Amino acid sequence: MISLEDAARKPLPSPDADTAALWRGLRDGQLLLQHCDDCGNVQFYQQGFCRHCSGENLTHRPASGRGKVHSFSVVHRAPGPAFKGDVPYAVLLVELAEGPRMISTYTGGKPDEVTFDMDVVLLCEPVSDEIALPRFRRA
Amino acid sequence: MTKAVTNAGHKNSLRGQVAIIGIGLSPVGKVPGRSPLWLAAAAAKQALADAGIQKSEIDGVLASPAMAAQFHRFSVAFSEYFGVQPTFSNTLQVSGATAATMFNIAAAAIHGGLAETVLVVGGDSLLSGLTPELALRSLTESRDQQYEMPFGIPVANTFAMTAHRHMKEFGTRPEQLAQVAVTQRQHAARTPGAQQTAPITIEDVLNSKMVTSPYRKLDCSLISDGGAAFVLTSAERAKALGIEKPIYILGGGECYTHEHIFLMPSLTTTGAVQSSGKAYAMAGYGPKDMHTAGVYDCFTGTVIMMLEDLGFCPKGEGGRFVADGQMTYGGQIPSNTHGGLLSFAHSGIPGSLFHFHEVVAQLRGECGERQVAGAELGLVHSLGAGFATNATTILGTENTL
Repeated sequence: MISLEDAARKPLPSPDADTAALWRGLRDGQLLLQHCDDCGNVQFYQQGFCRHCSGENLTHRPASGRGKVHSFSVVHRAPGPAFKGDVPYAVLLVELAEGPRMISTYTGGKPDEVTFDMDVVLLCEPVSDEIALPRFRRA
Repeated sequence: MTKAVTNAGHKNSLRGQVAIIGIGLSPVGKVPGRSPLWLAAAAAKQALADAGIQKSEIDGVLASPAMAAQFHRFSVAFSEYFGVQPTFSNTLQVSGATAATMFNIAAAAIHGGLAETVLVVGGDSLLSGLTPELALRSLTESRDQQYEMPFGIPVANTFAMTAHRHMKEFGTRPEQLAQVAVTQRQHAARTPGAQQTAPITIEDVLNSKMVTSPYRKLDCSLISDGGAAFVLTSAERAKALGIEKPIYILGGGECYTHEHIFLMPSLTTTGAVQSSGKAYAMAGYGPKDMHTAGVYDCFTGTVIMMLEDLGFCPKGEGGRFVADGQMTYGGQIPSNTHGGLLSFAHSGIPGSLFHFHEVVAQLRGECGERQVAGAELGLVHSLGAGFATNATTILGTENTL
């Protein structure tokens, strides 16, 4: 169970056997997408099988980092004490140029600048020695 | 009521095989000093009394888990607490969709011979029973730890993004979202025991504090204590017991389209289309045949999207549908006539059991001044986890068999 002290800290991802490469890539400034060599499907997040054809021949390739805001919601009431200092912040559902969508937050501007279908660019923000989070700024 | 083309006659169909013969509610709202197990047991005691049977006649128990009770096996802990030793039991967990799955699975278990008489039960005390640690856990641990949680995404945010996109694609207005809250508050005002009964206006909703855009405080469901329970048995046994108004399970369906919100196939069309489609096909009735509905209402926009996906109005028309009075008395489908999660009570997963309690009471004609005249067919749709989970159950009186 989570303690009060833990709750005051922002949760950091714990990479697992499937996803170590993704988080290594982000630490090095790249968002890696998996391309299926068998069916051509491009997927986020990293896993051992292609979600489309169940093939296991998957190649990591860096994403262009370009995307559009498919939807967003500006958080005014924080989900727990760790995020209280950040409100208001815009959570983004970004549709990457390569197709997959991902959750992120808006950076480099005020949350009320965010609009639907706005062009955004990836920015890898280090949050610890091991982890950089993929955030997006206006293109 | 006209029968649609269906698989209702399929030999494996649950249609009409199982009846709800008892319903019970604990006190709901703010119920201090009562544990989730007490709330569940208080509801169960009522449901058994309503059915007119002894607890020794229960051989199956299906429960939903409780956030404020740290039992790994809530259904088993409940059975001990309540003093029954079932030969069929499980604790089901597909977030908010759990309620309808409990009815569908209980019916399948009875029809398949795993149990004869099943108690469907849930209770939780989110308002009074959560320690600060448990409350935090509920806030921070429900989304994916790698791809969602690090960005500070409460579960409300996932629903907010779907409603936001719905507004963008179909022109749904904040006033239309607000109308759902206003209508359901009017319903709750006529429901004894409802947690929030003071009238509200569209302006009140639009002036309430922003939580996560486009949702303001009054667009969001309550936090409550409460439990509900139901006794289900075979249609034959219901007859043998001389149950006055058995309510039959006519159809059930589920659909699970994704786990992560970023893998939801469409933000504005959900698995409710498939889950209700299966339920309608099994029941042999369509959306236009329903007289009342319990529509999962964790947020106002959720109701608008569900009224579309359940087939009560065309896609994109949900906002106009509710603004036009179609989800209340005199409209096409009086929904959440008890006030729903927005105004009656929302004690976590058991919250959607309250929709079942209301729809069964409506079909039995027991709702007094909030009775939907002549209600014989009803639908309950439960959903959860940012529309990841969807489950539908269709209920009907003896006349609808």
